[in-house]
Amino acid sequence: MSPDEALRTAVLACFAAPALALAAVAAPSFFRRPLPEGRAGAIVQTGMLSCLAALLAAALLWDRAGGAPAVLALGGGWVTGGAFAFDLVVDGWSLGFAILSVAICGVVSAFSFRYLHQERGFHRYFILLVAFVLGLLLVSLAGSIEVLYAGWEVMGLSSALLVAFFHERPAPVESGFRVLAFYRIGDACMLAAAALLHHWSGSGSLAMLFSRSGAEAALTPGHAAAIAVLLIAAAGAKSALLPFSTWLPRAMEGPTPSSAVYYGALSIHAGCFLLLRASPLLSQSPLARGLAASAGAATAIYAALVTRAQSDVKSRLCFSSLTQVGIIFVEIALGLKVLAFLHMVGNACYRLLQFLSAPNILHDIHELENDLGGSIAQAGAPAGASARWLYLLALERGFLDGMIERCIVQPVAQAVSRLDRLDRRLCGSLPGLAREAADGD
Amino acid sequence: MGIEALIWAAALAVPPSAVIAAYAFGIRGKRFYILGVGCACVLVAAALAPLPLRLLAQPAWLGHPLGPLPLVLVPFAALLWLLTVMVTPTGRMNEATLARTAAVCLLSMGSFLTASAWLLVLFWAGTVAVYVAGHAEPAYERARRVAAVYMGLSVILLAAGVGLTSWGVGPAAARIGAGLILAAAMIRQGIFPFHAWVPEIFERGRIGPAAMFGAPQLGTYAALVLAAPHASPALLQTVSVLALVTALYGALLALFQRDARRGCGYLFVSQSALVLAGLDLPSREALVGSLILWVSSGLALAGLARCVLVLEARRGRQSLDRFHGGYDRMRVLASCFMILSLAVMGFPATLGFVGGEMLVRGAVETFPALGLSVIAAGAFTGLAVMRMYFSLFCGRRDAGAHLSLLRSEGFGFGLAALLLLGLGLAPRGLVRVLDRAGAAAIERRGVGNARP
Repeated sequence: MSPDEALRTAVLACFAAPALALAAVAAPSFFRRPLPEGRAGAIVQTGMLSCLAALLAAALLWDRAGGAPAVLALGGGWVTGGAFAFDLVVDGWSLGFAILSVAICGVVSAFSFRYLHQERGFHRYFILLVAFVLGLLLVSLAGSIEVLYAGWEVMGLSSALLVAFFHERPAPVESGFRVLAFYRIGDACMLAAAALLHHWSGSGSLAMLFSRSGAEAALTPGHAAAIAVLLIAAAGAKSALLPFSTWLPRAMEGPTPSSAVYYGALSIHAGCFLLLRASPLLSQSPLARGLAASAGAATAIYAALVTRAQSDVKSRLCFSSLTQVGIIFVEIALGLKVLAFLHMVGNACYRLLQFLSAPNILHDIHELENDLGGSIAQAGAPAGASARWLYLLALERGFLDGMIERCIVQPVAQAVSRLDRLDRRLCGSLPGLAREAADGD
Repeated sequence: MGIEALIWAAALAVPPSAVIAAYAFGIRGKRFYILGVGCACVLVAAALAPLPLRLLAQPAWLGHPLGPLPLVLVPFAALLWLLTVMVTPTGRMNEATLARTAAVCLLSMGSFLTASAWLLVLFWAGTVAVYVAGHAEPAYERARRVAAVYMGLSVILLAAGVGLTSWGVGPAAARIGAGLILAAAMIRQGIFPFHAWVPEIFERGRIGPAAMFGAPQLGTYAALVLAAPHASPALLQTVSVLALVTALYGALLALFQRDARRGCGYLFVSQSALVLAGLDLPSREALVGSLILWVSSGLALAGLARCVLVLEARRGRQSLDRFHGGYDRMRVLASCFMILSLAVMGFPATLGFVGGEMLVRGAVETFPALGLSVIAAGAFTGLAVMRMYFSLFCGRRDAGAHLSLLRSEGFGFGLAALLLLGLGLAPRGLVRVLDRAGAAAIERRGVGNARP
């Protein structure tokens, strides 16, 4: 087997392992014969470990081959005539993020196996988690914009469905829907970027887009700026940057392990990774760079402020993570790619640890308070009118949720309601129905 | 039409005709339902017969102006009938309804096979008559009248348009005829400003027949086969723009609906508008994407409407204002609903993804703003179907009794979901066939205008 074939096999194996695990757990559940918990957990963990092993093997093979970026055309002309290219790109960035993602998901799946023991949606959780891993792998290794978009969508949907995991209660479901709404904005921007990239460059190759010379050759500065702005919007929606930040606390309705992997560690960094890959495109456009830097800086300040006033540990942790994400965006905009990547890895691992240990720490604190007979928290009220105002602003997360509701959702709902009434009246005014409509009104 | 095509057409006509004849001869009860299911299965097999017989490679035997298009649309119509027969609750489907679904299937397949404009007018009018006859009860008065007014107008316009294009009065008359056919197609597909009747018949009529009537998209077919060769590019582009506005409008209104039936109606409006928009664009990629979307959204939306019907049969009218619950007691239905929803929203690994992507690219290629409106419509549609999913299946656990699906219902929904997933993962064969049909459609454009 040649080195290229070995690399291709290893990369294919890293997709096959979670895909098989997904099928093995999902198919019996679909036919109303779910696997026993132990077996389902073992299958998922085997899938994760196999995937990790395949990725490590791919990294080794890639390094031995000289460490130059390699494009694997796995399904050239998957649809017809090469219109959809199923290309993957193997380089340091893609392998690094993929290994980080699978390692973190493996840890979380091991943790969740016990955390969700005898939970009603046990199988559903693992199906969605493995789907998320597949989405992350697609995003990490995407060599064409179709693959990137597919992974982006899979990640978004699995994320929203996990927010709505406890779907017997209305609040998680409403939050899941709200998260999905923001993700759809990002998805739409991504799809627009994909279509425009094809239109302007005649190709959907990310290998071209991710190399400075390729991007410069294929796109004019104006076109590069337009695609970069769309990608920043897509990344911003996925990473909860301002003004999309309002979905982040709502996403905490999901089970703690999923919050850890999605909003502490990986999903929230997917936007950073996308921007990191697209940094050659950013470097072509000062406007896009400025936009990324200002959105990142504003988000970092906002999240740092909000973190200090949150009353529950998950919200506090997710806003802490968001603060770092904002800073990572600034680093990418400044061209500090290695620093941004290391920052991303560090933040992801640290937040994962914090999220997963939070329930135990809370439990210990409650035990301690029971023993002491009172609260150990020492929170003082902020002094001064401006401090109190700032505190209120932070506590209410900048009133962003209410503003979006009042300024966007409600006016659109009212306008749509009027249009709907108009449609009904139009039918009611038809010959023979006018009288009935009048009676109805 | 060659001898092979005639044999195929005759074989296709037998199963639905057998059901209609059995009804006419007074066969009733369980025997009739078993006959219906059996005939629908035989029909699907007959519709797919040309594939293993290698008749797919040389579609000239069909003698159809759009090459191999009937080889996709006929199985699609047969599958819609099978889905209808398998999953419609017995309480909602009496013998007359089953016979009517057979008639609609027969007429739809006849439309997709014929190259004769007048036969198409006849089949079109036939489907309208069957639909209106199925709403004779006073409870459906409003739906019947609304459908009769709009559809009656569409039949008149179609007949006038066909008359003008086929009697060779001159290029100007042919162009006016094409305009009239396009107007008829717009009415039938519910394109703005003729859209209001679609949600109305879903809400106030029978949802099953509404889906069976709307999903084959005869209006789109007439526009493609009869109008496109004679219409001017400017007219086609105007229809495309109107259709894209409708797609956006329908998706937005579906998102904020309070009633599941009306929501389904607006989703039909939005999706059929997207299909029509793509077919009228000058890009071949958009055209092929639309053809794929035609099959994908038709099957998925018919499935979604049937899911709503199945839920209504178990727990009454479904409002989208609250969470109805019951996921744990009907996981198969919820899973199938999710897969069908994903196909509607163009999620990766479903057929809708392939069609949607190609349509977006083709639309952007023609005029970037049009492409962006397709993307926006897709985003709203995705949210609308997911809201429907959350509302219908999430919420309290004790969501009433008798929620489990019958075996035939599970099979029907499962088949539709598997088809959409299977064709989404391995779309090459379907795309190749539709690409040839698309090439033939592009070649025919403007042919009518070139005539002396």
